Amino acid sequence: MDLFLDALALVLTPMAIASIGLGALVGLIFGSIPGLTFTVALALALPITFGMDPVPAIGLLLGTYIGGMTGGSVSAILLGIPGTPSAAATVLDGHQMTKQGEASIALGTAVIVSVFGGLFSLLVMIVSVDLVSRLAIGFGPAELFALVLFGMSTICGLCGDSLIKGLISGVLGLMIMTVGIDAIDGVPRMTFGSINLLQGVNLLVAMIGLFAVPFIIEAFSQKGERDIQAQRVAKVRAELPSLKMLFGKISLILRCSALGTGIGAIPGTGGAIASFLAYDHAKRFSKKPQSFGKGNMEGVIAPEAANNAVTGGTLIPLLSLGIPGDPATAIVLAGLMIHGIQPGPALFMNNAGEVYGMYVAVALAYLWVLALQLMGIRIFVHVLKIPREMLAVAVLVLCAIGAYSIRNSAFDIYAMGAIGLLAYVLVAVRVPITPIILGMVLGPTLENEFRTAMMLSGGSFDIFLNSPTVLVFFALAAGVIGLQVVAELKLRKKTKEKIEMTDA
Amino acid sequence: MKLKTSIKSGLTAALTAGLMAFGGAAKAEYPEKPVEMTILFGGTANTIAQLLSELMTEELGQPVVPVSRTGGGGAVGYSHVVATAPDGYNVVWNSNSISTAHHTGRVPFDHSAFTPIARVSTEIPALAVNSETGWDSLDDLKAAVEATDGRFNVGISGKGSFTHLTSAALFDAMGVGDKVAYISYGQGNAPVELLAGRIDAAIQWPGQFVSYVESGDLNVIAVTGEERVDILPDVPTAQEQGVDVNISMWRGLAAPAGTPDDVVATLQAAAEAAVASDDFQNAAGNVGFAPAFLDAEAFGALIERDDAFYGDLLQQLGMAQ
Repeated sequence: MDLFLDALALVLTPMAIASIGLGALVGLIFGSIPGLTFTVALALALPITFGMDPVPAIGLLLGTYIGGMTGGSVSAILLGIPGTPSAAATVLDGHQMTKQGEASIALGTAVIVSVFGGLFSLLVMIVSVDLVSRLAIGFGPAELFALVLFGMSTICGLCGDSLIKGLISGVLGLMIMTVGIDAIDGVPRMTFGSINLLQGVNLLVAMIGLFAVPFIIEAFSQKGERDIQAQRVAKVRAELPSLKMLFGKISLILRCSALGTGIGAIPGTGGAIASFLAYDHAKRFSKKPQSFGKGNMEGVIAPEAANNAVTGGTLIPLLSLGIPGDPATAIVLAGLMIHGIQPGPALFMNNAGEVYGMYVAVALAYLWVLALQLMGIRIFVHVLKIPREMLAVAVLVLCAIGAYSIRNSAFDIYAMGAIGLLAYVLVAVRVPITPIILGMVLGPTLENEFRTAMMLSGGSFDIFLNSPTVLVFFALAAGVIGLQVVAELKLRKKTKEKIEMTDA
Repeated sequence: MKLKTSIKSGLTAALTAGLMAFGGAAKAEYPEKPVEMTILFGGTANTIAQLLSELMTEELGQPVVPVSRTGGGGAVGYSHVVATAPDGYNVVWNSNSISTAHHTGRVPFDHSAFTPIARVSTEIPALAVNSETGWDSLDDLKAAVEATDGRFNVGISGKGSFTHLTSAALFDAMGVGDKVAYISYGQGNAPVELLAGRIDAAIQWPGQFVSYVESGDLNVIAVTGEERVDILPDVPTAQEQGVDVNISMWRGLAAPAGTPDDVVATLQAAAEAAVASDDFQNAAGNVGFAPAFLDAEAFGALIERDDAFYGDLLQQLGMAQ
């Protein structure tokens, strides 16, 4: 308790509160503008923290991280372009709600469940960091492979009515990520002798291309539909979701928060897999699964609660094992180390004060995010009043800047354009593009963990069959795929009968 | 810090402009625009580079901008910098990886394509095992490897990585190299895998192990350099234990070959001042590397010597191309 009070005293200084707030604001802005990513915001914030005291410095980084994580949902909902890979699942229903004139409700819900998910995971972390990190250690390469494979099975829930089209899209994502030098043997694959392709296709660049380019092309190809636009503008209003509605969904929010915390705690996973699993879970247990993808509120609640619960979750391996879960937490880790805070099992003995300080900072960052974003909704929704063509030009410029700034490489702008064109073609032939993102996010983990597991076992498949955890995930994946196949066969039979009847 | 720098650089710019207006013939001094520093790896390489670039910015009066160009064991970043103009505005935060990237055939050029500027730091690999094994020295480890029926799993960062070379050299020197299987872990997961007992030993950087040693989970039994490392003072070197291995990784700065001497001298001076600063010295203890400034000439000789050594080692391991 004394430690906690000391930590409060450390964090509740004007300097620390201000730097957390500044971080949250910067993260929110970078996260919510399509093209700019909060990984870039963190990289910009890092050198500033070198000259600061440890607590405000870490507050600034954590604030940026958390602000960015919640900010990603803003452009996902308003424009259908996710600000971060973790917000890709939010696009599915969030953007549909915007089209139905409920943008502000979707945004409000997203921020409230995000903050809830984040604080939930923080609480879990404070209470059980030791236990959870010991459990997470049990996840070796074989178990991670099985978990990620289960994650891939959620393609079933994202592919609309055709499993084949969903699979095409997922496999495209897997293929794109094999370009470049492979992480284990260092063999260049599909690089065609190009130096630029050696570094592979950056996930964020591909994501910008996949979602933003079709948006831009569509904006210019739908000139005739002025009426729809006028309607949309008339419907824009800043309305917040009612507490009653949120309380009604409390069970779903809790389940998705728990799921996000659990996934985040396992090193080598991240927000994207958690949000897709949560989305799939919500759809599977919903009373009206057919309304998903058409603006169901639960389709926003599930991924947003889960991806922010990951923030607390990833802090568990980051602090207790010293393993960053993604590029963003890797930058936070660098910041911690510069300030003499060495993550690992001894952290809680050596730097207990700073650890409690971080807990308070995370809670504070979520309060800032809640306040900033609820105020921001009033401003955000005005984006929808901007004519679509003009918005598209702004998005185009921002995306080019964003793609360039990730690695200071003009090649990435071309890569974004090429992937964007591919996405536009796919959308035109009704192939869903969300599975591509899933394939891209999970592909490298899937491959590397499988290969590492095979190296460990000396080439024997027993390593998968001897682990109960692996078998459970395999069974879950098989179940999900089986259900989808059965449902599709039934549907096909019905349509066939219908056709026969009309023929007769 | 950032603000101060920009005010300072603004002043410098104004002064320069003023001087040029009055002096007319005054020649512009290097640097007159931002210097880009290409970073080849994440982890400690990135952490040190971020700090170094910030400190060098203060010395040079122009921003030194760190840009991450990772991938291909350094091939991506080296290939970018080697193609830039030799005017001092593009430098690379390099390491022994210039030798490994060349000898494994990932880049068509070798270290002579770059002008050395200064060595900045060194890091020494450390060998850790789970403390439950009870192994306390390389002798214990050697006995354990010999007693193993199957394969002895050792965690490394990736095939052809520096930790792989170090492991191979160490276990070969101990005479048990043929019973060891090297398992690649990309993101520094090796300590966790040791803890879970999925691998038997791992070679990584001391900073990754310190916390686990303090908590009593892991036991570091050797470091591979010439001297012990500051953050693990009780751990003897391999040489102290009678195994003749002396491998350490250096990091430093280099520019494309042909960069003018006075520009190299300016950058060298900035790097020297940055390394000597309190901020850098403090960070060294925290992050787990040793500040080790060497001037351009000595650095060049070191690169030359090391290149021959790693070329031979890779040849022996059958990874050279």
